[in-house]
Amino acid sequence: MCNITNSDSDEQELNPEPGEVELTNRVFDVNSEEFPVLGDLDEDAHTWSNNLSDDLDVGNISNFFHRVSSEQVIYQAKKRLKMIGKYVMGDLLGEGSYGKVKEMLDSDTLCRRAVKILKQRKLRRIPNGVQNVEREIKLLKSLKHKNVISLVDVLFNEEKQKMYLIMEFCVGSLQGMLESTPYKKFPLYQAHGYFIQLIDGLEYLHSKRVVHKDIKPGNLLLTLEGELKISDLGVAETIDFFAIDDTCVQGQGSPAFQPPEIANGLDSFPGFKVDVWSSGVSLYNFVTGEYPFEGDSIYKLFENIGKGEFTIPDYIEDPLRDLLLGMLRKDPEERLSLQQIRQHMWFSRRPPVTAPPVPIPPLRNDEFHCMTVLPYLFDHYYDTSDTANNVEYFTERELNEEITKREAEQNNGSAQTNQSSKRRWKKPISCIAVRKIPGCKQS
Amino acid sequence: MPLFGKSQKSPTDIVKALKEAVNALEKGEKKAEKAQEEVSKNLVLIKNMLYGTSDAEPQTDIIVAQLAQELYNSNLLLLLIQNLNRIDFEGKKDVAQVFNNILRRQIGTRSPTVEYICTKPEILFTLMSGYELQEIALNCGTMLRECARYEALAKIMLYSDDFYNFFRYVEVSTFDIASDAFSTFKELLTRHKILCADFLEVNYDKVFSHYQRLLNSENYVTRRQSLKLLGELLLDRHNFTVMTRYISNPDNLKLMMNMLKERSRNIQFEAFHVFKVFVANPNKPKPILDILLRNQDKLVDFLMKFHTDRAEDEQFNDEKAYLIRQIKELRPMAGH
Repeated sequence: MCNITNSDSDEQELNPEPGEVELTNRVFDVNSEEFPVLGDLDEDAHTWSNNLSDDLDVGNISNFFHRVSSEQVIYQAKKRLKMIGKYVMGDLLGEGSYGKVKEMLDSDTLCRRAVKILKQRKLRRIPNGVQNVEREIKLLKSLKHKNVISLVDVLFNEEKQKMYLIMEFCVGSLQGMLESTPYKKFPLYQAHGYFIQLIDGLEYLHSKRVVHKDIKPGNLLLTLEGELKISDLGVAETIDFFAIDDTCVQGQGSPAFQPPEIANGLDSFPGFKVDVWSSGVSLYNFVTGEYPFEGDSIYKLFENIGKGEFTIPDYIEDPLRDLLLGMLRKDPEERLSLQQIRQHMWFSRRPPVTAPPVPIPPLRNDEFHCMTVLPYLFDHYYDTSDTANNVEYFTERELNEEITKREAEQNNGSAQTNQSSKRRWKKPISCIAVRKIPGCKQS
Repeated sequence: MPLFGKSQKSPTDIVKALKEAVNALEKGEKKAEKAQEEVSKNLVLIKNMLYGTSDAEPQTDIIVAQLAQELYNSNLLLLLIQNLNRIDFEGKKDVAQVFNNILRRQIGTRSPTVEYICTKPEILFTLMSGYELQEIALNCGTMLRECARYEALAKIMLYSDDFYNFFRYVEVSTFDIASDAFSTFKELLTRHKILCADFLEVNYDKVFSHYQRLLNSENYVTRRQSLKLLGELLLDRHNFTVMTRYISNPDNLKLMMNMLKERSRNIQFEAFHVFKVFVANPNKPKPILDILLRNQDKLVDFLMKFHTDRAEDEQFNDEKAYLIRQIKELRPMAGH
């Protein structure tokens, strides 16, 4: 019997399994041997013609629909190498509103990259989805600053109707970091470091006439070196080159970070001050772990923002207190400009290091954020025949069990048990220590 | 005195000794060689206090504060910079390192050295004139760029008459000095957005008449770099007022049209990015419109064939197509 492995990527499209596969950080090959294939059908048809007079009894049906016990459908854990252009695909990093984000390796330069995978089908369902993405791509291509995420490459796959936006590699967002800490806030000096980079990036964007409109911790990413990158320019607006001022008419950012002029539904408002406000809310969030304005519903929230009244916890002292008050002034004209923020006392002073910094949370228990592309390359290029005899197969039931267990663990927030890490790829260390590197397979 | 272990010399002693040595060096007496040795030795001592060595940590804040205070009181920073060309090679580098470290010093929100230099702007002017002397130009450059990071100091430099010497420094024949001067020049004109915008606005005529010389320079690198910087300045939203003024002057348009035809493709390309602003301007003054109209057909032809091999650059092609359309649709002003 032919042993057709379900490695065809189109098939992968049909089966929703890849979703689970990514959850568990592994690619599974369906071993289709146990499925009733055409050969079996012919045999059945033959039997049938011999027993024309007979009623179709249960036995016959069961013969016709060759039943396969789920125990017999087996999967094999394997890191299957996948290339998109010159990029080697790695594991899932996160999921955005438009699609998945995965790690990649540029096989020419060996630079780590992240790729945003957009499905046209999904995009078309979002109002203005396609146009927004096209605008964002155009915009990102024209920007170049160390604190603004850079778009490295854009690839299309017509067949699969997918778009790949290849970006600088980041390890996580400030939002994720905040959430990983008990008090959901940063020590002052750490908040200060990020805030300075945020203002630098914003100043650049504004100098390019770009109003970001959606500044929030979730859109501020960090590289492995701890450099902040402003990302997600999906709702950004570019002011016309010859416009006299920065008047905008539309606000589409995240509600909790919107300024009073948008919450109150004004027809037009100065754009750059919108970013100042949301940076103020972000800074407030960095240092207190809370939001200046809250509300049970978006109406309540906008009502509160519209009033512009908020309190700052007592433990926040001047000059930071004064800076927050200045950035969160209700009237955009009175609100501090980026220039004034730069000249503010709190900005020019680096607060003393008081506590260890909040670390970047680990990705799937890997606190070092090791390159996830490596195992795929290893599996692809090195013959693992000496381990071929003890290749692990497991059934869907086992797989599901493991997924449930994993989810339960995540919900409990407990550390990973040995059980689930058993089948994990061994750390690259072990492949360096291998006695004899087996012969390289032809790819 | 202990045989081993570090010297117990106080900052006061070191600064005093260094000052005497520099003074001796300045006079150029017979003992100059000895003085130079003394200068180098004391500079190393100061440097080690600030940065530490492989087996000693930097000194405590109190000692550093004392040192800084002595440096301010004795006016030694200026003296060192004035005599920089007399100090030996390693010593020059040490001066720059000490200077930059002291400059970065902060007490709370204050930067005492920045405040000190504001009261002694000769320090900045002496540093700027350092570009005249080949052997100290690069050392002065590193110190100047460190100064330019502080708005107050950048302001003094921009608004001084000495600033216009940069238009000469960026053209000197020694390539590394010219490049270094250009990066300081650029830093001064772009680092502090609002300050720079105000400066360009207030001194528009003077700056741009000087700038014109750079754009017409004999030196290819100067021409190309200054054209690129011009594009950056005009396309920066902070310089909106300056940009509108620049694009209403027909002489500037003529210059850009000539640069579009330069031999170098890089210059052509940079010129394109300035030229496009003239065409895209929705309120073109009559003289500008006249020039464009007079060359309407030629420009369309020219742009059709302009850098056609840049197929990859989507933005460029969009812009080019937009310009061609705009120029084709140009009509004389109504009522003329």
